[in-house]
Amino acid sequence: MRRFWYLLYPGLLIFAATMSLTGAETKVSMTLWNRYTAELVDGDFNGSVFSLERGYFRIEPTFNDKVKGRFNVDFFSDEDGLDGAGLKLKYAYLDFHEVFPIPESKISAGLIKHYFGTIYDWEYISIQKALEDKEKVASSTDYGLALYGYLPGGFGEYAVSLLNGEGYKKTGADVDKEPEIDANLRIIPIPGLTIGGSVLFESDESDRLAYAGVGHFSKGPFELWGEYLVSDMNDITGNGFMIMPILKLKGMTGIDVDLLGRFDLWDGDTDIDDNGHMNITAGVNWNFLRDEKGTPMVFLQIQGERTMFEDETAVDIDQLMVQLQWNFSNVF
Amino acid sequence: MNRFKMFVLLSVLTGISLFAASNSITIAGSTTVLPIAQRAAESFMDIHEDLSISVRGGGSGVGIAALIDGRADIADASRPIKTKEIKLAREKGIDPYANIVARDGLAVVVNPKTPVDSISIENLKKIFTGEIENWKDVGGPNKAIVAISRDYSSGTFEVFKELVLEGAKVKDGALMLASNKAVATTVTTTPYSIGYIGLGYLSDEVKALTVDGVKPSEETVKKGEYKLARPLFMYTNGEPKGTVKTFMDFVFSSQGQEIAREVGYVPVK
Repeated sequence: MRRFWYLLYPGLLIFAATMSLTGAETKVSMTLWNRYTAELVDGDFNGSVFSLERGYFRIEPTFNDKVKGRFNVDFFSDEDGLDGAGLKLKYAYLDFHEVFPIPESKISAGLIKHYFGTIYDWEYISIQKALEDKEKVASSTDYGLALYGYLPGGFGEYAVSLLNGEGYKKTGADVDKEPEIDANLRIIPIPGLTIGGSVLFESDESDRLAYAGVGHFSKGPFELWGEYLVSDMNDITGNGFMIMPILKLKGMTGIDVDLLGRFDLWDGDTDIDDNGHMNITAGVNWNFLRDEKGTPMVFLQIQGERTMFEDETAVDIDQLMVQLQWNFSNVF
Repeated sequence: MNRFKMFVLLSVLTGISLFAASNSITIAGSTTVLPIAQRAAESFMDIHEDLSISVRGGGSGVGIAALIDGRADIADASRPIKTKEIKLAREKGIDPYANIVARDGLAVVVNPKTPVDSISIENLKKIFTGEIENWKDVGGPNKAIVAISRDYSSGTFEVFKELVLEGAKVKDGALMLASNKAVATTVTTTPYSIGYIGLGYLSDEVKALTVDGVKPSEETVKKGEYKLARPLFMYTNGEPKGTVKTFMDFVFSSQGQEIAREVGYVPVK
């Protein structure tokens, strides 16, 4: 339990400091993912579980126009945690806007977003994680520095990062000597079409190289995400892709419902036969309630996922996931 | 077979929603632009009885978010769209197009009983950041100043922050209200209060101060003499087309621009 308080205290101190000392505008918010998962292995029922998959508690102080911060811990159900609960430190960074004479840019420092592939703006439209996160090619956040900015006229975005390279779960002695260097670029040549790519590199001990190509198309109620991912770690090469079409039915039916599909293919080691797998997901997202800016506040997801293995001796796994995502916030 | 029928139905519905012309328009956003949008919509529907227009406020950020999400055809805004918002819009297939429909002066208002007639932008900043808390420091009586601001999400606040606060924070204890009307009403009913509202919300119930020696008026805004002035926008997805173009043409017509003048703003045509 002490681990909880070790992590919670700094957050409360930041909160108290921003509220009482600086008089800064501070947004406090929570997002919770309540999930029911039922699993079938080779068609046979293998059990089901209710859980709190994530519980993000965020404090986002705005000190002034140039300096903003975010502190985010994740409370979640964890069989190994004390009293069934776990805690992760997910974000803890400050953004310094326009430090360099580059318009619309910022430097992020601390436990920051990992600007790689689709992971940094993944909105969990499908319950499953982004491809690079799911296949453990890249962690969603990491310790380090990033220069992030918008291309002129809103034609895209870019980021260059220097990170530990081990993700948010590893610190201290678990971090190797070599930092990870990332570059990310997304361009929107015409409204509705986004293309981009990312690369990460870390030499010596871990010898990691990964790159991702990302595409996104949006027209009216139809949206399509695509990602191609290659990972090369210690001479083991993996590759795969993800495509995810979404159809928004609100304009046609008046009900705020989205239909989605997702197909993932991943081969973790291209030199070994029969170790790949693919996932097919289909589901429905129902937005019960949005705030005045259109951000979902209460959001039900019902999705079925089948995992199939290249190894013919392995059996298919089916999962039905029902997830209620809800969030609330206030600005002080 | 059932799945095939469902697929065909969804494909047809998708096609219809992509290409169908609409005879209704949804407008959302800035409460500053709201009086123009409301009056223009009413007059427009009198002429075009087959067309319907729904108008709501919420603030510039809310209107732009609605345009980006496809929940509005026109976003009213009292500030220019941000690069972040343009990027988000382009990702979603929306191409924000700025239509400047009028100009507005941001009037600094006090309760009519407050014996102060003018203020400098420098002192205004000091009042709203908490450096000056008593009217005697700006030539008034020995009374505490009640500062009334717009809320953080409003375009009016964004403009005030840029032109007056220069990025500084509003002091703790300032009332943060959700609309121009709420600010005007609260200033009217609260002795020794000070607030800021769009020119269109000026009335005899509040007293507009001279700012850096210039009174807010159509003439001073048009001539560029009044420093707290800004353009007012109606953002559309690309250059206006179809029903939206018919409405925007009306807003820019002599009748539409007269509406802008009648509600207290400065016409652009």
